[in-house]
Amino acid sequence: MWWPFTSSEPKKKESAPLRQDRQKCYEFRDAYFACLDHAGVVKAGDEKPSGSCLSEAKNYEKNCAQSWIEYFNQRRVIAEAQKERLAQAETQAQNARR
Amino acid sequence: MLPFPRFARPCRAQWCSLRSLSLSSRETQQFRPKSIRQPQNHLRFYSTEPPAPPRSASVFTPSSAVVFVTVLVGLVFYFRHEKAKHIEQREKERAASQYGRPKVGGPFKLMSHTGQPFTDQDLFGKWSLVYFGFTNCPDICPAELDKITAVVEAAEKEHGKIFQPLFISVDPARDTVSQMAVYLKDFHPSIVGLVGTYAETRAICKAYRVYFSTPPDADPSGDYLVDHSIFVYLMDPNGQFVEAFGQVTTASDVVEKIHGFVGEWEKDHGKM
Repeated sequence: MWWPFTSSEPKKKESAPLRQDRQKCYEFRDAYFACLDHAGVVKAGDEKPSGSCLSEAKNYEKNCAQSWIEYFNQRRVIAEAQKERLAQAETQAQNARR
Repeated sequence: MLPFPRFARPCRAQWCSLRSLSLSSRETQQFRPKSIRQPQNHLRFYSTEPPAPPRSASVFTPSSAVVFVTVLVGLVFYFRHEKAKHIEQREKERAASQYGRPKVGGPFKLMSHTGQPFTDQDLFGKWSLVYFGFTNCPDICPAELDKITAVVEAAEKEHGKIFQPLFISVDPARDTVSQMAVYLKDFHPSIVGLVGTYAETRAICKAYRVYFSTPPDADPSGDYLVDHSIFVYLMDPNGQFVEAFGQVTTASDVVEKIHGFVGEWEKDHGKM
């Protein structure tokens, strides 16, 4: 749908992300994830009922594109699962050595 | 019908050993007269053994000398030939490792971030590092472009300005020429950004065996990510594929490998 006064607006705003934008996003992401770690939450959003990490979440969402947020959150879950699997493999290997 | 003449038949191991046994026993008989250095006809006076057949008077006859020399010369030639063949084989293997190889790359026509047409012809005469990505890429593309920046800086110090890094967009709906130009300011100045239509993008991705997930009708103002292959391809100055570097290969590993490939190339083609 084409709107006379708004059509070109979002396209103009969609400029390439620059290094400083990315850096800012990474920093707020890391701060948010550190808070989640502290709260013992892996999946982003699971901390909401407890009311923790509110300001971190807000900054994260303000400084990162939605698609990036989804991607980083997903990757955090995957990385966490991987860590668990690696730890399991390690204990298995140690049991086998015994 | 026998496949071989009767006497040229390959012998079975058993038969061969039997034959060599009987031969050696006969040889000892023949050697005895030789060892006492007596002519054949005098042998009777000193030996109780039956006389050897006159045919095999001595192994060291002129004809055996001829056979011996012939075999010797033959062996020398044979080994020379084998050595030459071996060297040629190794040479071929070396050449194959350098050129051969997966069919990656091919003709393409895209637009550079400075608004100039850019084709595969522009790759000739330089070593190119080809990487595919998109400007809205969260972390992997910028990290890889930083790596390419470091690699090109180090490689140029060693070999001069003989490298052409390329960043080819897999997001034709959103990556425009001007957006590419802005994006690439953060990276090595020699990186050329390339954009094309959806069809052109699909064609070059196919040529370079690159997977990308952008649908043909992607929304130019949409907020989406593109899933894509993240190899950095090294192409030689003839535009031939040399090597693909993954995300885990560090910048210094890439530089070292490039150094090796450029050295090999210059051995064959002279310094660039």
